Amino acid sequence: MDNTIAKKKRRIALGCEGSANKLGIGVILHEGDVGSPLATATVLSNVRHTFVSPPGTGFLPKDTARHHRSFFVRVAKQALSDAGISIADIDCICYTKGPGMGAPLTSVAVAARTLALLWDKELVGVNHCVGHIEMGRAITGAAHPVVLYVSGGNTQVIAYAEQRYRIFGETLDIAVGNCLDRFARTLGISNDPAPGYNIEQLAKQGGRVLLDLPYAVKGMDCSFSGILTRADELAAHMKAGGVGPDGEPFTPADLCFSLQETVFAMLVEITERAMAHVGSSQVLIVGGVGCNERLQEMMGAMAADRGGSVYATDERFCIDNGIMIAHAGLLAYETGFRTPINESTCTQRFRTDEVLVKWRK
Amino acid sequence: MATDATAGLPCELTLDIPFPDARLASVALNAIRVDKELSLLVKRDLSVIPADGSSDQSVLRVEYKAATNRMLRVAVNSFLDSLALVLEVMEELDVDVVEARQKENSG
Repeated sequence: MDNTIAKKKRRIALGCEGSANKLGIGVILHEGDVGSPLATATVLSNVRHTFVSPPGTGFLPKDTARHHRSFFVRVAKQALSDAGISIADIDCICYTKGPGMGAPLTSVAVAARTLALLWDKELVGVNHCVGHIEMGRAITGAAHPVVLYVSGGNTQVIAYAEQRYRIFGETLDIAVGNCLDRFARTLGISNDPAPGYNIEQLAKQGGRVLLDLPYAVKGMDCSFSGILTRADELAAHMKAGGVGPDGEPFTPADLCFSLQETVFAMLVEITERAMAHVGSSQVLIVGGVGCNERLQEMMGAMAADRGGSVYATDERFCIDNGIMIAHAGLLAYETGFRTPINESTCTQRFRTDEVLVKWRK
Repeated sequence: MATDATAGLPCELTLDIPFPDARLASVALNAIRVDKELSLLVKRDLSVIPADGSSDQSVLRVEYKAATNRMLRVAVNSFLDSLALVLEVMEELDVDVVEARQKENSG
């Protein structure tokens, strides 16, 4: 193992993320002794460019990959100049190995490899989910939380034990964010800045009625596809001039409200059960859906009842970004982890618990 | 297009991409060859070869063989997309380019 890096007082990584529709490049600085509680992480830059598809449509792998290829150099230049560092200051290049969409992942990996080869730096392949968890921990300072990871592609309740992030519960079909994104398409809501954000804003105007949607918690797991089907049916019913359970018409805002209340209640339930199981009173919410203030509020109420609290970050760190890949990659790099160029592939499926979390006790 | 019926991949295309020097050709080779072709009906061979009248391995050669012309077109287009990205990164983010830009901005 190469111990040189562990002896350096200042360690810098550049991270490249592109597993879904966000292209993110960031630079992180770690200072202090590796593994010491006094070691700090500082964000030097965090640049993102999002591929936004027209209302009623989702982002397709081919178009998303093209977006990442066309913006990579622009975003990388910005990240470098924001950080105010020289190439010599950088210790390693980190990239998202998976999980995610194949073509966008690969497009960013090609560029990350090119940088590593041109700059003569080592490469570190990072699990996207572990990136979210480590960034959430670093920003909020939550030491030993139960983690709820909720995004457009993933829905998992996670707790750390013996150098693995163990999955306690997860979705059985689609991710909660995918359910929200697709319902936004049904309603023809804008995808700018994000479909979930626009659903959240619309839901604030709803709530006259709570429409009945199938609450689908199965043990520690959740299912969202049936809820989406039912919500789509209700939307069609509404457009045809149908009425709600109280005989009055209902609105897209009522639908968004009902959808959020139902799916978030399910997430709160499985998270609470995981907290009871591991005896933790902290819950950390990461992933794009983690920006949702209604979800944070509901989770906060549950955590407060248990004498604990909820930790969440804002859109800079919740939504996919390059800095989390840089941070998690640098943590692994400091323990001696490397990804040789000829092994620096991407993989659409890469479970959170496959990663050996060598940097934690 | 030549035929290679024995391999069952009759559609072929070979491209030679010249680079300014052997270092950049090698970077392109190593950045691109990691990702395997997704279809078993497409075969790709990447190598670097010397430029005419030189000993520098500064030409990237890609040889594609595919079952149909359509598969060949899709695979070659995807290769060209990756190549264009690699070239742009080289042009804008190679060490000397970044250093020159940083010097200009600070001065």
